[in-house]
Amino acid sequence: MRSGIFIIFLILAAVSNLSAQNYIIEGRVTDKSNNPLSGANIIIFNTNTGTASNEEGLFSIPLEQPGTYEVEISMIGFKKEKVKITIPTERRLNIVLEETIIQSDQVVVTAGKHEQRLEDLPVSAAIMSSEFITEKNFLSLDNALRYAPGVSVNLDQVSIRGSSGYSRGAGTRVLVAYNGIPLYTGDTGEIIWEIVPVNAIERVEIIKGASSSLYGSTAIGGVINVITKEMTGDPQTYVKTYYGVYDKPAYEEWDWSGQYRSFNGLTLSHSNRIGKLRFSLSGTRLENNGYRMNDFYKRFIGNINTAYNFSSTSSINLFLNSLNMDRGNFVYWKDSRHALQPPDADIGQKVRSARIFSGLIYNNALSSSFLLQFKSSYYNTYWRDETSSENSSTVNLFREELQATVSSMDNMLLIAGIEGTYGKVSSDLFGDPESFGVGPYVQADYRLFSPLLISAGLRFDYSKLDTLEGTGSVSPKLGLNYHLSDDLIIRSSAGKAFRAPTLAEAFTRTGVSGITIVPNPDIKPESNYSYELGMTYNYKELFITDLALFHNEYYDMIDPAVIPETGQVSFRNVTHARIQGTEISVTYNAFAPFNIRLNYLYLWARDVNNNKSLKYRPRNLVTAGADYRTGGLSVGLDFRFWSRIDELDTELVELGLVPDGDKRVPVYVADISAGYNLLKAGLPLNITLNAKNILNYNYIEVIGNLSPIRNISLGLELVF
Amino acid sequence: MLSSKEKDSIVNIKYFLLLFVLLFLTGCGEGLSPGPEETVNQTGFGGTVYFKGEWPDSVKRTYIAAFRNEIQNAGDFFLQIGFISDSIPRNTKQIIYSSQVNPLVPIKAGQYKYIVVAQSATDSISFLRKDWRVAGIYYMNGDSTKPGSIVLNENEFIKDINITCDFDNPPPQPPGG
Repeated sequence: MRSGIFIIFLILAAVSNLSAQNYIIEGRVTDKSNNPLSGANIIIFNTNTGTASNEEGLFSIPLEQPGTYEVEISMIGFKKEKVKITIPTERRLNIVLEETIIQSDQVVVTAGKHEQRLEDLPVSAAIMSSEFITEKNFLSLDNALRYAPGVSVNLDQVSIRGSSGYSRGAGTRVLVAYNGIPLYTGDTGEIIWEIVPVNAIERVEIIKGASSSLYGSTAIGGVINVITKEMTGDPQTYVKTYYGVYDKPAYEEWDWSGQYRSFNGLTLSHSNRIGKLRFSLSGTRLENNGYRMNDFYKRFIGNINTAYNFSSTSSINLFLNSLNMDRGNFVYWKDSRHALQPPDADIGQKVRSARIFSGLIYNNALSSSFLLQFKSSYYNTYWRDETSSENSSTVNLFREELQATVSSMDNMLLIAGIEGTYGKVSSDLFGDPESFGVGPYVQADYRLFSPLLISAGLRFDYSKLDTLEGTGSVSPKLGLNYHLSDDLIIRSSAGKAFRAPTLAEAFTRTGVSGITIVPNPDIKPESNYSYELGMTYNYKELFITDLALFHNEYYDMIDPAVIPETGQVSFRNVTHARIQGTEISVTYNAFAPFNIRLNYLYLWARDVNNNKSLKYRPRNLVTAGADYRTGGLSVGLDFRFWSRIDELDTELVELGLVPDGDKRVPVYVADISAGYNLLKAGLPLNITLNAKNILNYNYIEVIGNLSPIRNISLGLELVF
Repeated sequence: MLSSKEKDSIVNIKYFLLLFVLLFLTGCGEGLSPGPEETVNQTGFGGTVYFKGEWPDSVKRTYIAAFRNEIQNAGDFFLQIGFISDSIPRNTKQIIYSSQVNPLVPIKAGQYKYIVVAQSATDSISFLRKDWRVAGIYYMNGDSTKPGSIVLNENEFIKDINITCDFDNPPPQPPGG
C-alpha cells in the first residue's frame, strides 16, 4: 500500500507543469492600511474557479479563454467585493477589503468538498470562528462546540441535531475532520478532541444532516471540519498563558478538598519560512487539578505544520500533531452526596495515552477547470488503563484519498474521488483485529439557471472488519438551493447515510463490575434516511434568520444490549429510531459594535420499537450570545439551555452501579468573557478574562457526572 | 444626534439585552443538590438462612438474591435481579440476615417472585447465569412446589423470609445454566 501511494504522488508531481495557461487574472488583496491579506478567497462568479491569496496578498487564476469575468473577493471579517475584469485587455486587480463584523457571504469547503458560498448550500451549515474560541478561552474544541447552533456535547461525545447519545466515545455519529481528513481513532471510533491544537484553528465548519454521500461512514449525522490557519511565512512568535480556579462547590457536602482547585496552560508557537518552505511549530502544556477527585489531567500537545508551493498552481502541506496525556479516571460519582468524588474503589485509577496524527495534503490545479487533490494520514494511538483491569490498546490507522474537481462550462461542477482506509489494532479489550474500507464517490453541482442549484451525490462503501463478512453500503443524496430573491433562499435535501460498526463495537471482550461484554460477529451497519427543508432570510445584512425542518429514520441503530440467552452484553443492532425537529437561528447585526445570536432546536428523538425517548436527547435546546467589540475591547455573554433529559442509563441505577444516577435537571449555563487588545497602544498583548457557569448551576450531561462548576481564568497572549 | 435608524437599533438592543437577562435569571436556581442524609431504610426483608450438609469446596461466594420475576432464561438472571445481599461467610450453619445490611444491590419496594441463596465458584463476581448455582429457595408456608413471593411496600419490613440450603439435596435449578 505504501509503494502505491508513493507512485500516485510521483505521477501527480510529474504532471504539475503539463498544462500551458495562456490567460491569467492576477492581483493583490490588501486592507485599508495597505497590509497584505493572506487567505482571502478569490472566486470567478458563477463558476467554481478560484484561489486564495498568499502571504503577500498576491493571487493568480489561470484561464483557458479570454472574456469578461466577474470576480468575487471575500474573507472572514471583511466586506465582500465584486469586480469585473476583461481578459486580456486587463489582467491585474488590486483589491482593498473593508473590515466588517458582519459574517455573511462566507465561503465553506466542507459541504461539497469544494469552495462554496454558505448561501448556496442545499443543507444547513454553521461556522464557528477562531475569535470565538480564543476570546472565550476554550481549552479544547468540544467545549466550544457546546455553543454551536444545533450541536450538543454529552461529556465528550458530539451530536448534531440529536444524532448521538452517549456511549463512552464508542461509535460517533458525527464525522470530525481536520482539514478534511477524518479524525476518529481506529479502535473505538471516538474523537480525541485534545489532539486538535486550538491556537491553530482558523474556523470550524459544521454541516448538519447526513453526509455519507461524500464522507462515508460516521458522517451519518453530519460533519464538523476544523480548518487550520494559513501560514503566512512571516516570522512570528506567539505565546499564550492562562491561570484559572474553580469556585468552591455550592454545597458543603461536595467540598471534598477544602481548596480552590486550579488549572493552567502555556502555549509557545513560532512560524517562519526557509526559502519557499513555510512552517510553524507549537508546543502546549495544559494542567488541570480538577474540580472532582481523581479527575486531573496533564497534557502535552505538539504541532508541526509545513507548506510548500511548487508553483502558483500546486502545493503541499505536511502536518503532525501529537498528544501525551496522563489523566485521572473519573467514571461515575459515588452518590449524590459525594457528587465530586468517585466510588472508593476507583480512587487512584489513571489512564495514560500517547497519540500521533500526521498527514499530507497535495493540491494541483492542472488547469482552471481541473483540480487534483491527494490526502494521506496516519493516526497512531496508544492508551493504557492503570486500573484493576489494566487494559491497553495500540492502533495504527492509515487513510488515503484522491479527489478530482472538474468544472465544465460556467454552471456545472463535478467531483469524483476514492478513499481507502486500513487499521490494525492490538489490544486486550478488542484482540488483534484489522479493518479495511474503500469508498468511491461522485457528486455533481449544476446551476440550472441563475437562482437554482441542484446537487446530486453518490458513494459506495465497502468495509471489512477482520474475520467478519464484508459489507457494502450505497449512500445517495439530492439537494436543491433556490434564491427566491436576494434576501430569501430556500433549500431542500434528501439522502441515505450509513455508519459501519467500529472494531470496538464488534470485538470488545471485557468484564466491568460483574457485567460481561462479548463480541458480536453478526453486527451490521446502521443506516439513516434523512430529509430537510430550510429557508434563510437576510434583511439588509442586519437581521438574518434561518429556519429548518428535518426528519431522520435510523434503522439497525447500534446500542449495547443484553443477550437474553446468556445474560451477556454486546453491541447489537437493536433499534428503529426516528429523530424529527425544527431549528431556528437569528443573527442580529443592528448596531455595529454589537452582534447578537439566538438558536432554538426542538428535537423529538424516539425509539420507535419501544415507544420511548432516545437516551440523552433533550427535547429543547437553546444557545444565545451577545458580543460587543469596539477598538481593542471585547465583551461577550453566552448562554445555553437544555430541557431535562427524558431517558438515560437507568439500568446502571437499578444495578446499584451509579447511586442516585437518575437525578437530572434542565441545564442553564451562562458565561461571561472580556478582553482587551493592547495592539493599538503599541503593545502586542491581548488580555482575556473568562467566567464560566457564572450562576454556579449544578447539572449533568451524562449519568453520575456533575458538569464543571463555576470557574474563572485570566489569559495573556503575546504576538511578536 | 442619533438617526432614527440608530434610535430604533438602540431600542431593539435593549429588548435583546432584556431577553438575555431573563435567560440568565432562569438559571438562578441551583440545579442538582445532594440527596438527604442516609436514614434507616425501612424497606426490606429479613430472616434466617440454614445450611445443611458439607459446603462444597469450590464455592467462593454466597449471597441471598431476590428476582422480580422467576428466571425463564439466562438473560433473566441479569435483567430480573432486584437485590443482592452482603456476602455470607463459608461454612456458615445458620445466619440471621437483613436486606438493609451492606447490600451489594440495594432492595427497593416492589414484588419479588424468586428469592434464593446463590453460590458461585468464579474468581471474580459475574452476572452470568452459568456461573451461579441456587443452593436454597424461599418457599411460602412450606409449599415447596413453587417459589415463594413477597410484595414490599415503601418503609415496610417483612420478617421470617427463611431459606434452607441442603447441600445433599439441592433444589431445582432455574433455566439457562
